[in-house]
Amino acid sequence: MRVLLAEDDPMIGASIRQGLRQDGFTVDWVEDGRAAELALAERAHDAIVLDLGLPKRAGLDVLGAMRRSGDTRPVLILTARDAVADRVAGLDAGADDYVVKPFDLNELSARLRALIRRGAGRAAPVLAHGEVELNPATREVRLRGEPLALSPREFALLEALLTRPGAILSRAQLEDKLYGWSDPVESNAVEVHIHALRKKLGADFIRNVRGVGWMVAKVPASA
Amino acid sequence: MRSIRRELLVWLLVGLLAAVAVAAIGTYLRAREEANQLFDHQLREMVASLTGAPFAAAPAGLGDSDAAGNTLVVQIWDRNGMQLYLSQPQRVLPQHAQLGFTNLRTESGEWRVFSALTGSQVIQVAQPMRERRELAASMALRTIVPLLIVLPVLGLLIWLIIARGLKPLERVAAAVARRSPTQLEALSERDLPREVQPLVQALNGLLQKLGEALAAQRTFIADAAHELRTPLTAVHLQAQLAERAATDVERRTALADLKAGLERATRLSEQLLTLARTEPGVDAAERTAANVDLSALAREVIAELAPLATEKAIDLGLSEGGSAAVRGDREALRTLLSNLVDNALRYTPPRGRVDVALGPEGDRVALVVRDNGPGIAPSERARVFDRFYRSQPATVPGEAAQGARMRGSGLGLAIVRRIADRHAAEIALGEGLDGKGLGVTVRFPAV
Repeated sequence: MRVLLAEDDPMIGASIRQGLRQDGFTVDWVEDGRAAELALAERAHDAIVLDLGLPKRAGLDVLGAMRRSGDTRPVLILTARDAVADRVAGLDAGADDYVVKPFDLNELSARLRALIRRGAGRAAPVLAHGEVELNPATREVRLRGEPLALSPREFALLEALLTRPGAILSRAQLEDKLYGWSDPVESNAVEVHIHALRKKLGADFIRNVRGVGWMVAKVPASA
Repeated sequence: MRSIRRELLVWLLVGLLAAVAVAAIGTYLRAREEANQLFDHQLREMVASLTGAPFAAAPAGLGDSDAAGNTLVVQIWDRNGMQLYLSQPQRVLPQHAQLGFTNLRTESGEWRVFSALTGSQVIQVAQPMRERRELAASMALRTIVPLLIVLPVLGLLIWLIIARGLKPLERVAAAVARRSPTQLEALSERDLPREVQPLVQALNGLLQKLGEALAAQRTFIADAAHELRTPLTAVHLQAQLAERAATDVERRTALADLKAGLERATRLSEQLLTLARTEPGVDAAERTAANVDLSALAREVIAELAPLATEKAIDLGLSEGGSAAVRGDREALRTLLSNLVDNALRYTPPRGRVDVALGPEGDRVALVVRDNGPGIAPSERARVFDRFYRSQPATVPGEAAQGARMRGSGLGLAIVRRIADRHAAEIALGEGLDGKGLGVTVRFPAV
């Protein structure tokens, strides 16, 4: 899952980025409102962590503009001001959730996962598809109830595919999920990881639509 | 304790009594004069009526009047000085007397005597002065008795009127006493006598100033709490990352970050303390002004901050143009200098330049700190002295680590402004070196 982090304090930003990375998120970090708007225009992120006190363009303005443009991606606001009015203004401007500084990294990750899950129309925390179960919180994958060891990149690919069963994801889309701006993209990496996943989950689980991309079947094949 | 009511009452009554006394004396004097004229006239009439009358007839009537207290003494002599008649033998009056009116002093008191030569006889009528005085005194008494009767009534009236007049004061006192320390709205100035109004207005002025000071304090505390939350949030997150660290390398990095976060929080709280200490009115009286050589102070501050300059390869230097002695609080001035230089070093990129210049400028001493950093846009210059305001240098993502070092608490210039204000110094912001950067000029009154 790729997350856009808009936070102007260097220490807080660096810590959140590192913490979210450890929890399996791909994180892009911007330090002001204008950069946040540019990044949002890419539509590459699954969720946005937005500080309200951003320089150049206030977080509330960024949020308002985003919602007016029809962008419905989940937004979680960070606010140092614990005044109720700020939270209310943030939620009314279109935020989906908030945390008040100082907050806990685990809570931030959990809330982000919940937001992304809801954004995909699911209430259950575990992505289940046929005999495969993926838990984004614990980063565990089970096949027929048995734990399955996946690399972080494999996990990220499987998560992206399971989030929207039936949808075909292009190689560029999958690469977006795997790499932040600062990460060097390895050529063929997507194919390599898909190959590994097929080995572990069965050849039919991930289907290739030649020239378009990859998908998991909308209705799981009955075992 | 002094009481306006008691004092007014006492002094008004004293005044009234004095007026009554003056009135009594006046009445007495006037009545006595009138009695004199009246009785003199009576004496003259008496003599006239006795003229030619057979002297044997007179004594009976005159003797009677003695019992009534109208003590007239009549003596009649013939031309040869033979006493022909004496109305009251027990009275001792001189045998001879001048003609006309005379006052005589005898053992039986003062007498008014009228003697006249009529035909072959000298007739003398005498009357004690005491009677006249008694008459005058009784007239005077009659005048003042009603006044003396009215006096207690007046006193009571004065007592009540003063009580009524002082009611608004009691009302104001009660209104002030009812207040809680947070109720600082103005007292009502309606229905107040003109004498009490200045007091209430002065009180309201004080209440307003107190309210403003309290509001400023509250804002400061709220701002301070808000500002502390950011570094504390960072420390919180950094601590959590250190906890999560799986390898030694990760843990070492996380702990180094945590240490940097703690340093930032410490610096901010120190700055907050400095700011609170420079708060107007706070122990300002205890600080003693002394002559301070700014040049020596600048050298000390530059020596302290040299390591930071070296770390960023910034060319830091001092130029002096003469005496730079000012009067003030040495420690506060050191804080001012240190904040200005530290600020310049923080915001100037590596391999930049920071110049400190000191010297007389007219009748003032000018301190100028210039850098060739990013500077502050003229539109932002007025705001940088606000507490917690940070100018926004352009930072690019990825420069975060360096940004963290550059970042100040947002309090440095607010502290500088406070200290400058306390030393009656002016601050001006302008361009720095090479047509860019920031130049801060502080002009102190020379010693």
